[in-house]
This record gives sequence, C-alpha cells and structure tokens, in this order.
Amino acid sequence: MRGWLVFGLLMFSLPLFLSTGTLRIFVMANFLAIFAMSWDALSGRTGYISFGHPFLIGIAGYTTAMLTYHLGVPLYLSIPAAVVVTMIGGTLFFLPALRIRGTYFALVTLAFMEIMYHLTQVIAPKVTGGTRGLSGLPEMVSGAIPNYYLTCSVMLLIGIGLWLLIRTGLGTALSAIGVDEEAVKSSGLNTNRIKLFIFTISAMIAGIGGALYVHYLGSIAPRALFDINFLFSILVAALVGGAGTIVGPIMGAYFLTFLLEYLRPYIPGAGRFVLYGVITLVVYYFAPKGLYSIFSSLRQRLSGKAGTG
Amino acid sequence: MGTNRMTFFSIMATAAVFMAGVLCSPVTMAAKDPVVVGYIGSFDSDTGKSTIRGAEIAIEELNAAGGVLGGRQIKLVKADTREDVTEGIKAYEYLAETEKVDFIISGSIDDVSLSWLPRMAEYKIPTLDTWTSYVGIIDMVVNEYDKYKMYFMNVACDYALATLYVDFGKDILADKMGWKTTVVLQEDTAFGGGVFELVDQMLAPEAGIEIIDHIVYDTNTVDFSPIFSKAAESKPDFIYLISSVRSQVPSSQYVKLQVPVPMTGINVAAFGKDFWNDTGQMGGGTSTLSPIPSVGFAMDDRTKAFVEKYEAKYGNSRPIFPHFNGFNAYYGMYNAFNAAERAGGFAPLDAWVTEMENEDLKIYKDGKLWLRYGFWKPGEIEPRTNREYTHNIKFDITQPLDDGAPSMVVIQWYEDGSTAVVYPEKYATGEFGVPSWIK
Amino acid sequence: MAQVIIQGFLLSGLYALIAVGFTMIFSVGRVLNLAYGVYIMLGGYVYYVAVQILSLPKFPSFLLAGLAGIVFGVLTYLVLVKRFEKDPIAVEISTLILAVVMQAVIVLIFSTAPRSMWPLIPGRFEVFGVSILKNILFATAVSWVVLGSLMVFIHKTHIGRAIRAVSMDAKGAAVSGIDPQRINLVTWALSGVLGAIAGVFFATYTQLDPGMWVFPLITAVAVVIVGGIGSIIGSLIAAHIIGFMEVATTTWISADLRGVFTMALIIVVLVVAPKGLLGKAEL
Repeated sequence: MRGWLVFGLLMFSLPLFLSTGTLRIFVMANFLAIFAMSWDALSGRTGYISFGHPFLIGIAGYTTAMLTYHLGVPLYLSIPAAVVVTMIGGTLFFLPALRIRGTYFALVTLAFMEIMYHLTQVIAPKVTGGTRGLSGLPEMVSGAIPNYYLTCSVMLLIGIGLWLLIRTGLGTALSAIGVDEEAVKSSGLNTNRIKLFIFTISAMIAGIGGALYVHYLGSIAPRALFDINFLFSILVAALVGGAGTIVGPIMGAYFLTFLLEYLRPYIPGAGRFVLYGVITLVVYYFAPKGLYSIFSSLRQRLSGKAGTG
Repeated sequence: MGTNRMTFFSIMATAAVFMAGVLCSPVTMAAKDPVVVGYIGSFDSDTGKSTIRGAEIAIEELNAAGGVLGGRQIKLVKADTREDVTEGIKAYEYLAETEKVDFIISGSIDDVSLSWLPRMAEYKIPTLDTWTSYVGIIDMVVNEYDKYKMYFMNVACDYALATLYVDFGKDILADKMGWKTTVVLQEDTAFGGGVFELVDQMLAPEAGIEIIDHIVYDTNTVDFSPIFSKAAESKPDFIYLISSVRSQVPSSQYVKLQVPVPMTGINVAAFGKDFWNDTGQMGGGTSTLSPIPSVGFAMDDRTKAFVEKYEAKYGNSRPIFPHFNGFNAYYGMYNAFNAAERAGGFAPLDAWVTEMENEDLKIYKDGKLWLRYGFWKPGEIEPRTNREYTHNIKFDITQPLDDGAPSMVVIQWYEDGSTAVVYPEKYATGEFGVPSWIK
Repeated sequence: MAQVIIQGFLLSGLYALIAVGFTMIFSVGRVLNLAYGVYIMLGGYVYYVAVQILSLPKFPSFLLAGLAGIVFGVLTYLVLVKRFEKDPIAVEISTLILAVVMQAVIVLIFSTAPRSMWPLIPGRFEVFGVSILKNILFATAVSWVVLGSLMVFIHKTHIGRAIRAVSMDAKGAAVSGIDPQRINLVTWALSGVLGAIAGVFFATYTQLDPGMWVFPLITAVAVVIVGGIGSIIGSLIAAHIIGFMEVATTTWISADLRGVFTMALIIVVLVVAPKGLLGKAEL
C-alpha cells in the first residue's frame, strides 16, 4: 500500500514540473494502462487469453458516444449506461469460456472484435457514423492538466482496487485456475462463479476506460477501436510490463506510449514504428516476465545488499 | 604550390564566414523567431508525401523571397499519423503543445481528420485540409461556425464531386455513348455510401441513366469474379465503380477477367502517375473522376513552374508527379500566408479567418480562368445545389465553368500508358474510351 | 449455379493453400504463429521485385520467393520460437510484434502504395459461360498438388512420420529417438515455403500492400478452427466450406456480409464443437 501512496503522490505532483505536451502523453498512457489492467484482470492469471478487449472497450465507447451524440444524454448517465452494457458484453465472453481456454478462447474473442468492426459499418451506419465514425463528442473536462488529474485518479483507483482484490483469496484462486482448472474444481471451488466474477470486473474496467476514452478523444471510429493495432498495444503493454502483476501493465503502458512519442522528433515515418517494434521485441525477448520482474529483482538485490552490508 | 595556397585561403575564408554565421545567427534568430507551420498526415503514402512536398516548395519560395510577416522565416515541423485515427489525435497534440505551431496543413484522410477536429476546436489553430473531401466536415463548419471556423478545406467536397459526375453521365455516358443503364459497384465505406446516395438521387432524373442493380462489397474481398458475374448478369450498359480503399483489386481483376461491360467511376489508385507502373502497365482503359489538378490536366504557367520544381527536387522518388493535394498544399500555403500578412499574423484568430475568407487566388491560362483558390463564405449559397459550403474551396459546378475551377475532372488511362482529361469539355485534352476487348 | 460451383471451387483452393502452412505449425508446435501472414506478404513482395523490377524470369522468381519463405520461417523458429518453447502465449505475442515490425519494414522500403502483380499465367477462358482466369486455375491446381504431396510426405517419408509422431505426442517422440528440434525446424521451413507460395498467388489475385498480411492470417485462423486443429483433411474441407460460403453469400445474399458470415461461423464452431469438424491431435 505504501508503494501505491508514493506512486500516487509522485503522479499528482508531476504537473508542477512537466509541460502540457508531456502531460498529454501521460493521459494517453493512463488510458492504455487502464485497458492493460482490464486485460490483466481477465487474462493475466487465468490462462483465458482475451484477444477481444477492443470489443469490450468499443461497445462502451459506442454506447456512450451514440447516447450523447444523438440523444443528448448527459455524461453522468451515459457513462454508467455504457459500463453496464459492457458488463453484459463481458458475459458474452464468459459463454465460450465454459468450454474452451487458452489459444482457442483468444480466437473466439478475436472473432467478436472482427464482427463488431463489420457490424458498426454495415448495420445502421447513420447511427454509428459508419466507417468514418462520430466526431465532436462532449468532453468531461477540457485541457491537458484537468484530463491528466482525471485519468490519473481513475487509473490509480482501478489499480488499488484490483490490487486489494487480488490480495484476497481470489488472486490465488485465479492463478490456480491458470495452472490446473480441473484440480481447482475437484477441490470444491465453483470455478465458473470465479470466472464470471472476474470477467465482469474486467469488463467493468474496460467499460469505464472505454467510455472516458472516447469523451477524451472527442471522436470515435471503428478503425480506432476494433483494430489489430489497438489490440496490439493492449496485449503488448500488459505482457511487456508483466502479466498478472497489476503494476506491470501500468509500467508497460507507460513504456510503450513514451517510447513511441519520444522517437517522434528523431525518426520520421515508418522508421519510427520499425524501431518501436524492434525495441519492444528485444525487451520482451530478454524479459518475457515483464519489466515488473526486472524492477522487483533489482529491488530485492539492492535490499539484499543493504542487509549484508 | 599556388593552387595549394589558394585552397588554403579559400578554406580559411569559408571557415571565417561560417564562424561569423554561427556567431551571428543566434542574435538574428532571437530577433526574428520563425513562423512554425505544422504538417499532419501520413509520411509514407503518396498522398501524404504530395502534401508535404507541395508545402515545402511553397515555404522555400516564401523564405527565398525574404520571409513572411516582416521578414520571418518559415519552419516546417511534421507529425506522422500513419493514417491511424488515434495517431492523428496524438500528432495534433504534439504539434499544438510541444511544437506550438502557428498554422497546420493537413494531408489527412476522412476519419483521421474527424478524429483531430475536436483538438483543433480546443486549440483554435488555423488548419487547412488538402486531401479529405468529406462533406460532413464542411457541414460541421456550416452548423457550428464559431467552434470550427479555423478550418478550411481546399479540395472540392463529395457533394460537388458527385454533381459534376452526374453531368459527366449526361453529357458523355448518356448522350455520346448512348448508355442508359448501370450497375453500381460500391465499397462498404462511408465514402462509398455517401457518393452512392448522391448518385442514386441524381443519376436517373438528371442524366437519364437508370441504376438497375447496386452491389456493396467488402474492401477485403479477394475474388471479384462472383461480383462481376453478378453485375454482368443484369446486362447493364456500364458498371459504375466507387472504390477508394484497395481499389487496385477490383480494377486489376476487371482487366484480367476482361469483363465484357465497360466500367468507369471512382478509382482512387488511378489518381497518380505512379499508377501505370504500380499496375504493371495493366491499367489501360481505366477512367476515374479525380479532384484537380490531376494527371493529364493542362497546366497554366504558374502550375507548370511548380511541377518543374517538384520534378527537379523529388522526381526520383515516388510520387513522381504530385497528386491533386500537392497542388492544393502549394497554393494553400500562399492563401494562408497572404491572409496572415493582411491580418498581421495567424493571431488573433478572427482577423486571420476573415482574411482567409477574403482570399481569392485566380489563375488564368490563355486568358481563361483556369484554377481558383478561394473559399465559400459563411451564408453564401451555391446556386446549383442550393446549399452552403462554408470554408470549402470555391468550386464551380455550373457550365460553362467560367466562375472558378471545376470540382473534378474525369481522367482516362489509355492502353499505351498515356493519360488525358476527358471531361469537362473546357479542360478536355483527350477522348473518353473503353478497353479494347469490349466489342 | 454453375458459376457458384466453379468460382467457389477456385477460391477454396486458394484458401486451402493459405491455411495449410499455418495448420502445420499449430499441430506440431501447438502455437499460433501470428507472423504467418508475413510469409505470405514476403512471398508476394519478393516475387514482385524479382519479376517486375529486376525483370527475372517467372520460374526462378517463384523459387526465390519460396526460398525467402524458408529462410524467414527458419529464422522465426531459431530466434524467437525456440526461446519461448514452453510458453505458447509468449510465442503468440512475440510473433505478433514481429509481424507489426515487418509491416513497418515493408512500408519503409515500398511506401504504403499498393501494387498489382502480373499473373503467373496470363489469359482467360470460359466454361458454362463463367469466365475463368488461367492464373487462378493454376493456383488451384498448385494448391491441390501441394496438399497432395504434403499428405504423401507426412505419411510415407521418414521425416514426415516423425513430424506426425511429434504432433501426436512430443514427449513420446523424443523418447523414441526423434529429435524434436530437427522436426520443428523442418516444419517451420515447410510452413515458410507454403506461406510464401500462397503469397505469390494471393498477391496475383489481389494486390500488394503493407497491410496484406492480416486478411490471410484471419482466413487461415478461420480455416484451422472450422477444420479442427492439426487436421490437413479438415483444413481442406473447411477451406471449401468458407470459400463456397463466401461465393454463395456474394452471389445470393449480399457481398458486404462476406466477413460477418465467416466470423459468425468461427464463433459457432468454437462454442458448439471446440475441436472443429475433424479435430484430432494428429496431422
């Protein structure tokens, strides 16, 4: 808990030192961190790998976008509505999870995302905005600094909430499901109930993140959400950071977002994305357990030295 | 020995001049900060590069002529969108907050422009779009002028394009070729849907061409033979293709299958001169409407000079000839800086917007008005379509097109690789044709 | 009707060819190779450069494309996959990153501009009033020959039987003296060359562009799921179901629902019959 406090204090003092341009990058990183934590909650420990998180984030975004854009519903109603819709969507993920897991489960959820990509364009394009999407959505708060504080608070609350949740027996149960689901079942635990619970939590986080995200962006388009590049960012942020650790996905999200933005002035065009991908691949190659593991082993080594010295 | 001494002195002299330059430059820099222009768009597409290069040439000319706004130099900073929607937002934030640009020139496509429009409205940075032609953005300016007034688009919007296409249908396809029926082959994008809607309303009443079938296809379609079979089954006089994404797939399969029905319409891949080699010299017989100036377009002296500069500077790398938005970026930079000179800069915003609305760059060829880079003012009604196009380029879609540039032309690729404009008549340099295998 | 049968048959041949290289990796290594689309893209671009830029003859260019596929397949295995052998998720993520990097590399070299490729065999003819491209018929024929020889290879040769043994039971195979390293290497090389060959045909059907790896990958995934993991016969049948479904949807229902039907089929099959039509743990 002390770690979270220090981290929170640090984050809240950053606007005193940083330019608004840098804070904008932080806002994007915070959103990616929220999405990566949502992914981590569902997939990080259980072995049910979701390739469909853009589906959850997307239905949240589209729900609130359409409610506010067409019907003028205020944000304090449309965002909770979006979260509820996403939680219902999350139970859709639960149905295949009754029978399949691992790679198979990943592929079903990927198919969910692909179908949504087609449907938003084909069904009622007047309402969804079709291929071009909707632009000019209302915003929660305006400017870099208010958005920074908003996203930091949401991200920290979600992070601490998940952390507390995992410290209960739930975390152990989820890891056990990841290792050997049959054994957990035979020990008398109702794995389906645990799975349904964590899927709904994950969907809720994706829903909160997705709804806030589109109101921060001010626009929504199928190509921005139901897209393999978006999926790539979420998965890689969670895994490069360290799956199953909650803090890891935050680290991964910051690492990816800042890496890409800091390369911008130096390398134009496709070269930037080549280097971005190569650096990410190299980091993952040498630290497949994630950045979090590097930090924690470093900390252990330091404290170990302090102990002997 | 003599030559050695000469070299020695010349090196010393150069070094001295260089040192002087280094020592002096911070002083002059501080006195006159550069005007910063931001580019937002793709770095790796032909269209994106056209906008960058058009802007670069204009900036070079303006800087060489002594700078702008009292002798300041222009500096261009670029932000890549990779034609990705979210990257577009990040790029706009970067230009606004980190680079603090005064003016933005954009080579963005429809959904990318839509994605950063809320950022533009927030930062209130004057912005000129040179590639997207989405009428929905113009409608946003019409409906919420105060919020979006800093936005200008100097390519004629979809609505104007479709109107002139219907004229083409009447004058050439119906009257000259004698065609009465068509099957529309449309991609499942918003662009395709929007164009179809307009064509569907107007083609039958105005050009007398009946749409007997309408096929919407998925842009990932691998094999078009079932689609062409279905189209040919209805026995239309021609197929009207509306294709902007992966448009080489339907057009190259059309050629390979030698579909026995003529095909024309919109094929975005055929806009650039590189099309010929990109299709492996198989693009003959393709015709497409294109915004102007296009390949095969007869050029006035000023435009010709621009193209010569372009070819000398960039002719070895693609695109070897600028796409229409390259011309738009070039002339648009002049519009923006002329307006800024009169308004005393890009701020205050209202002064610049008013002066940009007053911009009217007319370019003549052989005494005839040939190109016109001006903008529709708020409240101004375009007589033919009876609606407003605030801050869209001032196009002319009423024959004989003597009040401005047309919204588009129809270009024809011949089977020897040459190109011509075939419509409207005022700009025509060749004849509309169908591929040789048809009858 | 004749048209649907002929066109469905031709398209299915291409899909089978695209999917088979992907199936092999899945059954032997039990991992999804998300960089498989890259072999397809690589095959297309190498052939394009050889024929349309360097003006080399078609057959050597075709071999060159296949060779590029082998090299890239083997490299993927040696550099990435071997390191993460015990962790299928890590293999999937690292091959996904690799695919995204390769897409950016292609943009860097060729820009995003699409290009059309000359057909391997130009020309067309008509059967029952249906226009058929010789190139596409050739692709289908090659696909059948490749699939046939693959079946023979797997069932009749020594290495083939070893591949089958590893796909059924890696530990058991190792006990009986088969070197799984070597078998994996052969499988990845095979997958690379099959992908690259499929890529040459896929690109002559469609066009070359840096995003072209995604669609074949998703098609391969669909075919493998519907057919059942690890079954070549299953993949063949599934490719025909998907191919015919596409042509029938386009002809009789609506061309823009093509993708929706395929994805819906994946979900239904995975939920109803998670092992696919003919899924079993062998090739």
